[in-house]
Amino acid sequence: MLKYIAKRVAIMLAMLMLVSTMIFFLFRAMPGDATAFIVDPSMPPEARELMAERYGLNDSKWVQYTIFMKDLVRLDFGNSFFYGRPVTDLIKERMPATLILMFSAMIIAYLIGVFGGAWMAWKRGSKLESAGVTFSLIFRSAPTFWVGLMMILVFSARLRWFPAQGMRTSGYSGDTFAEIFLTLDFLKHLILPSIVAGLYFIATPLLIMRNSMLEVLSEDYIEMANAKGLKEKTVLYKHAARNALLPVVTAGALFIGSAIGGQVLIEVVFSWPGLGREIVQAVTRHDYPLAQGAFIMISALMMFMNLVADILYAVLDPRISYK
Amino acid sequence: MNLLEVRNLDIDYVTQEGTLKAISDVSFDLKQGESIGLVGESGCGKTTLAKSIMRLLPKNGVISKGEMLFKGEDIVKKSKEEVRKLRLKEIAMISQSAMNALNPVYTVGDQLIEGIRAHSNATKEEAAKRAEEVFKIIGLEAKRLKSYPHQMSGGMKQRAIIAMALTLNPSLIIADEPTTALDVVVQDKILNQIIEIQKQINSSMVFITHDISVVSEICETIIVMYGGKIMEKANTKVFFKAPYHPYSLGLQNAFPSIKEIGEELISIPGSPPNLMKEQNGCRFQERCPFRTELCQKELPELKEVGEEHLIACHYPEKVNEFREDAKKRETWEGVRNRLIEESVGEA
Repeated sequence: MLKYIAKRVAIMLAMLMLVSTMIFFLFRAMPGDATAFIVDPSMPPEARELMAERYGLNDSKWVQYTIFMKDLVRLDFGNSFFYGRPVTDLIKERMPATLILMFSAMIIAYLIGVFGGAWMAWKRGSKLESAGVTFSLIFRSAPTFWVGLMMILVFSARLRWFPAQGMRTSGYSGDTFAEIFLTLDFLKHLILPSIVAGLYFIATPLLIMRNSMLEVLSEDYIEMANAKGLKEKTVLYKHAARNALLPVVTAGALFIGSAIGGQVLIEVVFSWPGLGREIVQAVTRHDYPLAQGAFIMISALMMFMNLVADILYAVLDPRISYK
Repeated sequence: MNLLEVRNLDIDYVTQEGTLKAISDVSFDLKQGESIGLVGESGCGKTTLAKSIMRLLPKNGVISKGEMLFKGEDIVKKSKEEVRKLRLKEIAMISQSAMNALNPVYTVGDQLIEGIRAHSNATKEEAAKRAEEVFKIIGLEAKRLKSYPHQMSGGMKQRAIIAMALTLNPSLIIADEPTTALDVVVQDKILNQIIEIQKQINSSMVFITHDISVVSEICETIIVMYGGKIMEKANTKVFFKAPYHPYSLGLQNAFPSIKEIGEELISIPGSPPNLMKEQNGCRFQERCPFRTELCQKELPELKEVGEEHLIACHYPEKVNEFREDAKKRETWEGVRNRLIEESVGEA
């Protein structure tokens, strides 16, 4: 097992180098001038020239690339053109907000999805089951910004239960992680966006679980479990759901990987200071270092979660072992 | 005293195309300690019948009529929870497919222990001890309890399933083709073990199989089913010497006998009736070489022709003639020709 993980990590590192190279050249191939967004158009062209010189944009692509890669192995993504601060610091600042939002959304989606999907398979053909499928698909198909706005309209504007935007009430400031995130105020701000994101995600675990459950329920060992005189709930959750969970776990692990990028639309609608918004802005601003750094982080996490999914598989299913 | 009395049982499967009458008007008794072999072609209703005793029918399967008295109480009327308590403890099933009847993600031991603890207040240790005992009885090492199903061979898995069925000394064992998935040598060993243990704990057994030779070895009574009805019920010894029903005669032809090696087998032409359609007369009449107009119109009742020997045929008195003719290939060829003519006529 350890040998397997070591091998996978080595492959991951090699792949990451490849991905970084691709990302580097992809941004350089993008049309537009990086300096245009940093230097005000009313400034003389010399100012731009100076900027390009300082950021090394005048060097050949090859020189830029070698510097980029050299820094990368030291985990240095450089300074953001726009903010003028280290990319690592920026990502570190923005990531917790996104991750907390995405994790809460995922917990909502997976808790309801897994149990609801199992239950729906059990009650196959009932009205509640088709209602469940319809409900999940409506939220998957509805634009998240619209759902978000409707939520704000109902729960913030009309009912005034939750704040409409941001991560904390203005004026509040905290320095440590606990001061920022472990407060009631933060929780209140978190609820609406995480529900909207959760509703959007719910279709995946719910439907995968339901389909996988339907398959498992027709297996002989389920009949056997019934023949043993086990309680219906035991058969459903201990025997059937446990086996049906495998594909849901894979989907879940891969989902975490992509979640770091955040749900840009939700972050925008709720003015959530997350990484997703930052990445989109970085790309439009031609802020190469920040965009590169963020994309490399996303791909690294994606690969890592792939590995986690594979390891989880072995934990959940004794038939799978890695040698 | 009869352990199980099945009375006028009807079972329907409700499908989108209509209702399939899988079992119609089936009645039989099962004595304490007796083992009955249920034989018949695929789709004749033997598995449906067996599963209904444990109320394990699929969701669209309905017991529409009749009763099943188990120790004097009607299983059909029992609530879900009452039936649950009966399963494994009183009525245990040895399942058809050894390969898939064990949950792949739990050890075999855990699955046995779980069954024991679902019916008693036994602690984990007590249940584990009992599991070890039954494993020993069935000839598996105790350390196998810690194995996952995929780490065991087909024979071992089948033994584990048998062990599971025996953990609580049930009064009735339902064995649904317990050895079809195994090779002949292992099959024989396991069959003998099942019988031995069944005799030891003096439980009754319903044994389902396609293979009537197996029944001759292990069951006292045989029930031949066709198209959801009982065709013949007899003591096994009597049955193999002198079957009555034309279908039973046909079945016997279709199995090789050791004495006549090299002889080509005679099969019964045609296929079982479509139970989605309304059935008139005897279920077997379409394929029966001896049918008359009466057979096509009227359903024969089960009649006693000897001691505990029942058959559903209009002509028990012609049995000697039937037996002679059934041995001849021409008799069955006649059926084939008749079937072809009929299908041409319909077209």
